[in-house]
Amino acid sequence: MLFVLRRLGFYLLAFWVSVTLNFLLPRFMPGDPVSRMFARSQSRMTPEQITQLQQLFGLDDRPLWQQYVDYLGNVFTGEMGVSISRFPTPVVEVIAGQIGWTLLLGGTALLIAVVVGNLLGILAAWRRGGFLDSMLPPVLVFVGSFPYFWLAMGALYLFGVSLGWFPLRHAFSAGTSPAWTGEFVSDVAVHLVLPAVTIVVVSVGGWMLAMRNTMIATNAEDYIVMAEAKGLRPGRIMFRYAARNAMLPAVTSFGMSLGFVVGGALLTEVVFAYPGVGYQLLAAVQGLDYPLMQGIFLTITAAVLIVNFLVDIVYVRLDPRVRVS
Amino acid sequence: MSVTESTSASLGAAPGAGSRPKVPRDLTPDAPAPARPSGRPTPRRGFLRSLLRNRKATLGVGILLLFGALALLAPLLVPGDPTVITGSGSQAPSAAHLLGTTAKGQDVLALTLWGARSSLAVGFLVGLAATLVGVTVGLAAAYFGKVTDDVLSLVTNVFLLLPGLPLLVVLAAFLPPGAGTVVVVLIVTGWAGAARVLRSLALSIRAKDFVAAATVTGEGSGWIMFREILPNMASIVMSTFLGVVIFGIGSQAGLEFLGLGDVSVVSWGTNLYWASNDGALMVGAWWAFLPSGLCIALVAFALSLLNYAVDEVTNPRLRVPRRRRAGVHAPGGGTVVSGVADAATSNATSPASATGHSPTPVLEVRDLTVEYRGENRTVVGADRVSFTIGEGEVFGLAGESGCGKSTVAHAIMRLLRAPAVITDGSVRFCGRDVLAMPDDELRSFRWRDVAMVFQSAMNSLNPVMTIGDQIADVYTTHERVSRSEALRRAGDLLELVKIERSRLRAYPHQLSGGMRQRVVIAMAVALRPRLLIMDEPTTALDVVVQQEIMAQIADLRRELGFAVLFITHDMSLMIELSDRMAVMYGGRFVESAPAATILAEPRHPYTRALMNAFPPLTGPRTELRGLADGVRFTDIGDLVEVVGGHWVAPHDEPDDDRHDQLRDEEASE
Repeated sequence: MLFVLRRLGFYLLAFWVSVTLNFLLPRFMPGDPVSRMFARSQSRMTPEQITQLQQLFGLDDRPLWQQYVDYLGNVFTGEMGVSISRFPTPVVEVIAGQIGWTLLLGGTALLIAVVVGNLLGILAAWRRGGFLDSMLPPVLVFVGSFPYFWLAMGALYLFGVSLGWFPLRHAFSAGTSPAWTGEFVSDVAVHLVLPAVTIVVVSVGGWMLAMRNTMIATNAEDYIVMAEAKGLRPGRIMFRYAARNAMLPAVTSFGMSLGFVVGGALLTEVVFAYPGVGYQLLAAVQGLDYPLMQGIFLTITAAVLIVNFLVDIVYVRLDPRVRVS
Repeated sequence: MSVTESTSASLGAAPGAGSRPKVPRDLTPDAPAPARPSGRPTPRRGFLRSLLRNRKATLGVGILLLFGALALLAPLLVPGDPTVITGSGSQAPSAAHLLGTTAKGQDVLALTLWGARSSLAVGFLVGLAATLVGVTVGLAAAYFGKVTDDVLSLVTNVFLLLPGLPLLVVLAAFLPPGAGTVVVVLIVTGWAGAARVLRSLALSIRAKDFVAAATVTGEGSGWIMFREILPNMASIVMSTFLGVVIFGIGSQAGLEFLGLGDVSVVSWGTNLYWASNDGALMVGAWWAFLPSGLCIALVAFALSLLNYAVDEVTNPRLRVPRRRRAGVHAPGGGTVVSGVADAATSNATSPASATGHSPTPVLEVRDLTVEYRGENRTVVGADRVSFTIGEGEVFGLAGESGCGKSTVAHAIMRLLRAPAVITDGSVRFCGRDVLAMPDDELRSFRWRDVAMVFQSAMNSLNPVMTIGDQIADVYTTHERVSRSEALRRAGDLLELVKIERSRLRAYPHQLSGGMRQRVVIAMAVALRPRLLIMDEPTTALDVVVQQEIMAQIADLRRELGFAVLFITHDMSLMIELSDRMAVMYGGRFVESAPAATILAEPRHPYTRALMNAFPPLTGPRTELRGLADGVRFTDIGDLVEVVGGHWVAPHDEPDDDRHDQLRDEEASE
């Protein structure tokens, strides 16, 4: 319990750091990019919207500490101003409309990569010198060396443009509108294949190698020899004794690698024009939409931190040694 | 996770550990794989040499050198500004433009070669800077400890947790565009990963004995940091550096592809940005898009290969073993060279068979030979070892660490793993040939017929399973009973070794060391095996608990009547418990006789040295004398029966004088 509370404190601290970073960036960066943004879009805004944005970005003459306190208050109440590029929709609404697609893409890809990668790693370590152990790792390392976006573009070109097997862009066909019908769901699934597969292909090798290396260390433990001496069936030793212990570090690195997965998903979204927050983040950057940019960054950070916290809770369930300490 | 692994490996030859262990001073419990070659090379020179011998490393270095040369020579190979339009747009590869032209008409080959300059420079610059920060933070945390460490690791972990690419995007959006911005942003987001690894590494090295030794001898802290700790971090610093370079090159490409870098700079990332912006793929101009991506991938692959090789060199276990002809298979099977089983049966000259206690021995080991096959040399772990154990008999096996006694124990249950291979001899249990058993028969033979108590109870219990489940596993596997029935029986077993039934739900770490060992012993007798192998069952325990455990084992033996193969280096304990015993040295038996005979009349000089390693608690002081430094017995011959049941290996007589003297001293007490 103490462990969980300590982790919670840590994540709150991490969130505070990213909020503070967000607060400081527009105020201390050279070139005053925010003024440029205002110069471009001020004419469309109501006076209240202008005041609110000025407060968010420090273009008023309140003392810095007061700006900071107000900023923290705004962030925690979800007041992140209006989007410039999608004026006059509030930032929170823009994000709410798109985070679902990112969760769908990132979640699906992550789940498949983690399950497949770890299973391959377990099997490779179990049969040392076998095909999985000797042939697959170099191949996966090579595939994993390609930039996400490059592989995504290659897949788009090959399976989308040349072969025409999959749609080229977006999360669902133009003209359809989201509904819980079989037709729409399968349309979404077809659109999901290429982006998700590219993420899986690039990231699965990392999972496999990490799991393989931990499993190799675990297989040398006395309790594995003991389990063998007990005459247990290989499957039981492999999963209940070896993999069950080897997965503990994998669970920790799952949380750690989340940031990378988000980054990979961001690039993939850009290539496939997938309407998630990553795609929107790039659009916000290009449209000098600083409120939206900040909102998306904070949302992504919060999501990563929350998942990490959930992972910690799961970890406590998985490792009895943490439970007592 | 591989960090701690490789750390321990690279620390093997830390200062002070370089000399060969002397015989027989080191009487500590030995690992399941004894007779390991002792001298290891010093970490740095040996590390680089083995790295250069590694095929993955040479391939990686080769690719990197090639790209480095191309980047350096770009102005000579394709002179002039690569962005200048030299042909018509979107032309496929031809003699004039080997890699075709972009949509604007620039030469793709020129752009790719010139792009290498910026991409490699940024990647390696980021790698160097971030690693430098990481090393500094790591050493500072280990050096100052306490609050500094807390703060530094907190900052590191926070930075590590913030999602990298979105942070990069936001930072790049606020900063003025330019190549310098990209470098700064990449360092800011890349250092934390390096710092985290290097901090925990520095801390773990700081906690090692040789650092403590250096502190005690009064070395200054700075000297310790830079001469003791830093050199031992070399391999991990290197792999961290490689990792950050991969991150740097990939992220730079990602940022530039998104148009967040300086798009006028020629680099692989901007080449891809323009290819995408000009819609190269939509018009099928794959040549504008392929080269830069392939270059990034090849460089990252080369770096990964190198990184992988560093891992393998520092942690040899990761190396892919060459598959051997005869059924080498990973955990589960036990390794036997085919044909061994029948090869040995004809050899009937084995002396120990004649010493059999009863007409039908429970265990009959004959000419058992085990080799540890390394890449460069082969070490014999057990050399033509023969003995029998009768029904209900306690047979002791004594010897120093690394003499091969655990190897023998593991070979009997076929628990040896590569690189250990049983190359000769036979193991018969009640007449059944153990080495020839197929997998399923072997599985039911294990634990039902022969069970084993390992030396460290903490390590032989699965830390994430309750002890109840671990005992129940034995019943559900061998007796095919339901889980609840298995748990009920597990409870009975616990009560047999005087542990409350309620502790079934306890995890190993919740029990004391003595309790854990009793759990392991209970587990061992669960199926009432006819033979129990005890591999130093009490070494890790204090003397009081040791007594309790030994009394427990004696009780169980009286009740259940199993035979015991008892392995220890504690001669007094062994003589007290064993009916017959053997002394082992360098994989060979040097003496075998009833325990009382050995006590009264040890014949081999090594046996005497071993018995003298423990001074008597009462009586006048005697000088402790082991074997003189460097005394080793080589080419130990087959045992010869000197008196009925007392077998001794032939040995040089001159040694006897010294030991006769010793014996006289003993006799005079």
